[in-house]
Amino acid sequence: MPEVVLPIGPQHPALKEPVNFKVIVDGETIVGLELDVSYTHRGIEKAAEQRDFIRVIPLLERVCGICSHAHAQAFCTGIEEIMHLEVPPRAQYLRTIVAELERMHSHILWLGVAAHVVGFNTLFMWTWRDRETTQDILEEMTGNRMNYGMNEVGGVRRDLKPGQISSILSRLPKLEEQIGKYVGMVRGEETMLLRFRGIGKLSKAEALKYGTVGPTARASGVDYDIRRDDPSIAYAEVPWKVVTDTSGDVYGRTLVRIGELQESLGIIRYCLEHLPEGKIGIPAPKVAPRGEILSRYEAPRGELVHFIRTNDTDRVERLDIRTPTLANWTSVTVSLVNQNIADIPVIVAAIDPCLSCTSRITILSERGRRTAEMTWAQLVDHGQRFYRKWGRS
Amino acid sequence: MTGLLGLEEVKSALERFGTVEQVRSNRIKVKTIPEKIHEALFRAQTLLACDHLIQISALDNGQSFELIYHLTGPHGTVIAIAIELPRDRPEMPTTSDILPPAGIYERQIYDLLGIVFTGHPNLKRIILSEDWPENEFPLRKDWKPRPKTPYGGVRQEER
Repeated sequence: MPEVVLPIGPQHPALKEPVNFKVIVDGETIVGLELDVSYTHRGIEKAAEQRDFIRVIPLLERVCGICSHAHAQAFCTGIEEIMHLEVPPRAQYLRTIVAELERMHSHILWLGVAAHVVGFNTLFMWTWRDRETTQDILEEMTGNRMNYGMNEVGGVRRDLKPGQISSILSRLPKLEEQIGKYVGMVRGEETMLLRFRGIGKLSKAEALKYGTVGPTARASGVDYDIRRDDPSIAYAEVPWKVVTDTSGDVYGRTLVRIGELQESLGIIRYCLEHLPEGKIGIPAPKVAPRGEILSRYEAPRGELVHFIRTNDTDRVERLDIRTPTLANWTSVTVSLVNQNIADIPVIVAAIDPCLSCTSRITILSERGRRTAEMTWAQLVDHGQRFYRKWGRS
Repeated sequence: MTGLLGLEEVKSALERFGTVEQVRSNRIKVKTIPEKIHEALFRAQTLLACDHLIQISALDNGQSFELIYHLTGPHGTVIAIAIELPRDRPEMPTTSDILPPAGIYERQIYDLLGIVFTGHPNLKRIILSEDWPENEFPLRKDWKPRPKTPYGGVRQEER
C-alpha cells in the first residue's frame, strides 16, 4: 500500500495552540512524522536584549502561559547569581509555593486533556473542577490566575498574611483526596488502561539518547530532576522525592505526573508551615556585572534552561532559552513510528507540548506521494471510534 | 546521583583540548577550538558519563560567534565546552551524529544566527516563517530590520 501524507493542523482544537503535523502513514501505521510549529515565533530572545532587568521579567513571563513562573524564576535565579544577591529565605519559600502550585495546575490540566483525548470526559470534568482550587490560591497569592507577576530580581512582590496561610492549608486536604481518586482511576479504569498502556513506548536508553526531559524522561526510568540535581530557591531545604517509573509509555507518564502532584502538594504544605520570617525581597542593582550563567529550572514539562550573558549594562547581551518541549520533540517523532494513527493525539499530548514557547520543527522523513486532510478534532474522533470498534488489536 | 565530578577528573579527560576552569561547584567550563569539538564531546560522553545535552548556547559577541555545549550526566556536574567561530566564515561540522538532540538545536542556531553545520542531515529553516528573507539572521548583533522588506506572514498578493 502506498504511503500517504496526512496533514493535521495548524489549527489545533485539542491543545489550543497552532501546530501542523505531517504524518506519513502506511495504512493505519505511522512511518514518519514532520512537525511544523513555527506559527507562533515572537522573537522574545531578541526583544529581551532591548529591555532592562525590570522590564524583561513581564516579557519572559509571557514566553509561556502555563509555566510563566518557570521562565521568570529561571531568569531571576540566573541574574541574581551574576549580581551576587542573597535573596531572603521568605522570598525563596514564596517562590517555591508559586512554583509548585504552577506545577500542580499544569499537571492537573494535562491529566484532563489526556483523559479528554481518549474520550474519558468524566475525569476531564473532575480535574478541571479540582484545578480551580490551585487557581484560586494562585489568584489570592499573586492577583492573577496566570502570568502571576510574582517574581522580580531580588525577591517577590507580594507577601502572605497569616490568615491566607491557614486558608490555603485548609483547602489542601480536599485536593489531596481528589488526587488520590485520580490514582485509582488511572490504575483501574479500563478506558484509560486500554488507551495508555504500551502506547508511545520509549526505553531508558532511547530517552537518554534523544535528550528527553521532565516527566517524559522520568517515566522511562531516567532519574533526573533539576529540583534535586541543581537545586535553586527553597528546594534543597524541603523534604520531597523524585518520582520515576519504568514503564516508559503514556501510562507511565501519567503515573509520574500524578505522583508529582502528591509531592508538590507536600512541598506546598511544608513551605506554608515552615515559612521563614523576614523580608520578601532586597533591592537589586540596575546593572549586572560582566558574566554568564546557565540557569536550570525544573518546569512542569521538564528541564528549562536560560543561558544568560551580561556585559556591565542594564540589559542582557544574550538570553538563550531552551524550553522542555523543544528537547522532547525529537523523542516524539521516534515514539510515533510504528504506532497507530489513532494513538497520535495521546502520544503527542503525553509530552504535554507547549508550542508557543517552543516554535520549532522536526523532520524525520518525507517520502509521501498522496495527500489527505484531517483536522485535529477529526483525528481525536477517529482515535475514539477506532478503539470503540476494534479494541486493542 | 553519583556525586559531583572533580576538576582534576575533568582536566585529565579534557585538558588536551584547551583550558579547563571551575566556574561553580557544579559547573566546569572547557574552552576549545571548532576542529576539536567532536572529539571533546565524545570523550565527555565516554570518560565523564555525560549522557544528556542540555543546550547549545549560541551568541554573537560582535567579533565572533560563540557556541557553548552544555552536557551533564548522573554526576550532576554541567560541563560547558565552548568554541568560537569567525564571523566571516561561520561554519563547523555537525555534532548530531554523536549527539542526536543536537540536530534540532543546530537547526535553530542555523536559522537565527546563520551558522552552517556541515554534514547535518536536514539543515533547514526551523523557527522563522517559511517566507522570511534569505540571508537575514535576526540574532546577529548587526541585524536591523529593513523598512519595506516583508518579514514573513504576508501573502503573495498583498506584497
